Amino acid sequence: MSLSSALSIAQSALLATSRRTSVVTQNVTNADNADYARRSAVLISDQSGVRVSEIYRAANDSLLRQYLNANSAWEGQQTMLAGLNSLSLAVNGQSNATSPAAAIGDMQEALQLYAAAPSSSSLADGVVNAARVLVQTLNNGTNQIQAYRSELDLEISRSVVDLNSLLADFHAANKAVVKATAIGGDATDALDKRDAILKEISQYIPVSTQTRDNNDMVITTADGVTLYETSPRNVSFEPTSFYAAGVEGNSVYIDGVPVKTGTGKLAAMVELRDEVAVTMQTQLDEIARGLVTAFAESDPAGIGPDVAGLFTWSGAPAIPGALEGGLANSIKINAAYDPDAGGNPVLLRDGNTYDANPDDNAAFTDLLVSFGNNLDASMTFDPSTGVNTSSNLGSFATNTISWIEALRQTTSNSEGNSSALLARVTETLSSATGVNVDDQMALLLELEQAYEASARLISTIDEMMSILLEMAG
Amino acid sequence: MKVSYVSSNAINQALRYSLMRMQSQIISGKTEMTTGKVADTGLALGARTGKAVSLHRDIDRLKGIIDTNALVSSRLSATQDSLSDLRTAGEAFLSALTVAASGSAEKSTSREAGKVMLETMTGIVNSSFNGEYIFAGVNTDVKPLNEYTDSPPSASKAAFDAAFMAEFGFSQTDPAAQGLSAAQLKTFLEGTAATAFTGAQWQANWSNATDQGITSRITLSETTETSVSANEQGIQKLAMAAAVVADLFNSNLNEDALRQVAEFATSLVGEALGDIATTQGRIGFVEQRVTQASERLSLQVDLFSETLLGMEGVDPYEAATRVEELMGQIETAYTLTARLNQLSLLRFL
Repeated sequence: MSLSSALSIAQSALLATSRRTSVVTQNVTNADNADYARRSAVLISDQSGVRVSEIYRAANDSLLRQYLNANSAWEGQQTMLAGLNSLSLAVNGQSNATSPAAAIGDMQEALQLYAAAPSSSSLADGVVNAARVLVQTLNNGTNQIQAYRSELDLEISRSVVDLNSLLADFHAANKAVVKATAIGGDATDALDKRDAILKEISQYIPVSTQTRDNNDMVITTADGVTLYETSPRNVSFEPTSFYAAGVEGNSVYIDGVPVKTGTGKLAAMVELRDEVAVTMQTQLDEIARGLVTAFAESDPAGIGPDVAGLFTWSGAPAIPGALEGGLANSIKINAAYDPDAGGNPVLLRDGNTYDANPDDNAAFTDLLVSFGNNLDASMTFDPSTGVNTSSNLGSFATNTISWIEALRQTTSNSEGNSSALLARVTETLSSATGVNVDDQMALLLELEQAYEASARLISTIDEMMSILLEMAG
Repeated sequence: MKVSYVSSNAINQALRYSLMRMQSQIISGKTEMTTGKVADTGLALGARTGKAVSLHRDIDRLKGIIDTNALVSSRLSATQDSLSDLRTAGEAFLSALTVAASGSAEKSTSREAGKVMLETMTGIVNSSFNGEYIFAGVNTDVKPLNEYTDSPPSASKAAFDAAFMAEFGFSQTDPAAQGLSAAQLKTFLEGTAATAFTGAQWQANWSNATDQGITSRITLSETTETSVSANEQGIQKLAMAAAVVADLFNSNLNEDALRQVAEFATSLVGEALGDIATTQGRIGFVEQRVTQASERLSLQVDLFSETLLGMEGVDPYEAATRVEELMGQIETAYTLTARLNQLSLLRFL
């Protein structure tokens, strides 16, 4: 052992310390970066001193996988809940105050009032006005539902664009990782970036990952469709610009395979667009059909067919016998009854196509009472409405409210759970892989001491060297 | 020694999630405090939301029916009053007839009693309530009973004259009428004359009312007829008695025949009073039915309101306490966050 070898060992210690200090600095600056995994330097000591052999990255794959699942689940449920909230508000109004069910109630009240004083044409106006509000509720509900479906379609198409660009970014990050790993370089920054992109992808679609040689990652969806393997797969979607009742939206395809229901934003949006909104439309259509049927006129002589009365539609004068797509949009007040259109609301009492009151008796209530009875009579509704198929119109309308609110309640509960889970997993992941500034500062103090010691060593050796040289000189 | 690691980020984020939860709970808590109802019915009731909406609707509908029932009740009691008036007038007429039947009254007095009866009856039967003629059946915008006048002769008068002419071949003011016997007159009154006051002739000459009464819904599922028509037998009989007396006591009939007329009218008015009493009884039943229906509906409204309160209601005190508690917790969370931020090694280096 010579003095010069001691000097070189002290030098290597200085070098290692400064390398470690740079790692600490990097850690501290990224302390609040959620996508950053803590680094630490691994030291090796040998004959020639000490050196940093590699930079260790505190990744935790199983926690990351949990995070990805929790993130997909929460994003999906959150999207679903927001969608249900908007749909419920759009169709039923705040506290269900402007729902078709409430409008039917108002209509029944107006009808009862008119039946109690059938000679009053202003009360007949009242019934027609209530009917108009009801028709507006249905028309408006249909418009809102279909507009919402268009919005979702647009949102899906944006998400697909996003997803494709994320996959492209992922490709770049993955290439960098593979390259760095293959040549034994520092892949930590690329790994951070890749994980961050993976987290973003997981909000759209549930993913599972597999790591191959050289840290090469393969992403598949929960359905087992490959999303990334060596190269990104194409996510395609054909947007539909116009939505009406009965118009079906297109599926999202990954690598040519349609995305099925599952967690994640994309699946939630597709479900809202194709299931929830469509069912709600069907429910409105059936309410409209119930109204046309309840207010249909029948021939007192029993010869002519039943014809549409106060409520009419595109296919009038026939009465729709079964679910008619878009009926809630085409239903309107028969102009013959509508004072705004020059009609006579008193026809409600006397009949329009068939004159039920040929003597024009002012207190004739048979027809009015029969309309009231029809509204309370049991009808058969289409099973695709998702609610009781056999009930009176009023109950049917309130059942549709129950339907959406039950869905909203369940979704809200599971959203609460999954958001709690996500918060917990995020915390755990952050604790496992994140930076503790205090810890790093303590380490820094240690490094400071080590540096000082090494420096002192060098100066001591230097002194020793000079003494030696003086003696020699 | 190995200790479990916690990142600075995790420490900072730890309170954020629970803080957000508590803040959103405070918002709904405040709403519940002020309204006394759950903040979001849908989230609180789920599948039972429809039930709550339907209860709201039913309460409004029931209240509506209670209101219209009040209208029906007023009409029924107006009808009841009119029928009582009719009976009072009928009884007065009856006493006048009794005198006439004994033969001790002036012809003109009896005739006047008949005319007064006719006018009173027409007035009562044509009374209206709330703009509707109450005895009109369903034809409520037309006066139910036509007036009976001598000059110009009303259709009812003409019909009676024609009936007399058809029976005897001369008019009641013809001198030949003097020779008609009591028996002949009795046959006429019970036969040809009676048809002028019933059925199609009544409908054609006297009445504009329909036989069909007003049908009203008195509960959610119950409808009933709630009016009396001018075509009631009692009214027809009263009209006949009064018209016969007013007309024949102004003719050339002999004393015997007139006494027969008075006797006939007496028994007719007696029958009419009985019929009217029956009608009153029927109306009384309907009145009672409507009142009971309203009472039942009120009970239902109370019950429904209570159920609704049970579903949607929140104890405002409980909500207030909850908000207080949450505010305390949030304050603690704030203090903790501030303290944690102070807690850093950096401050000591």
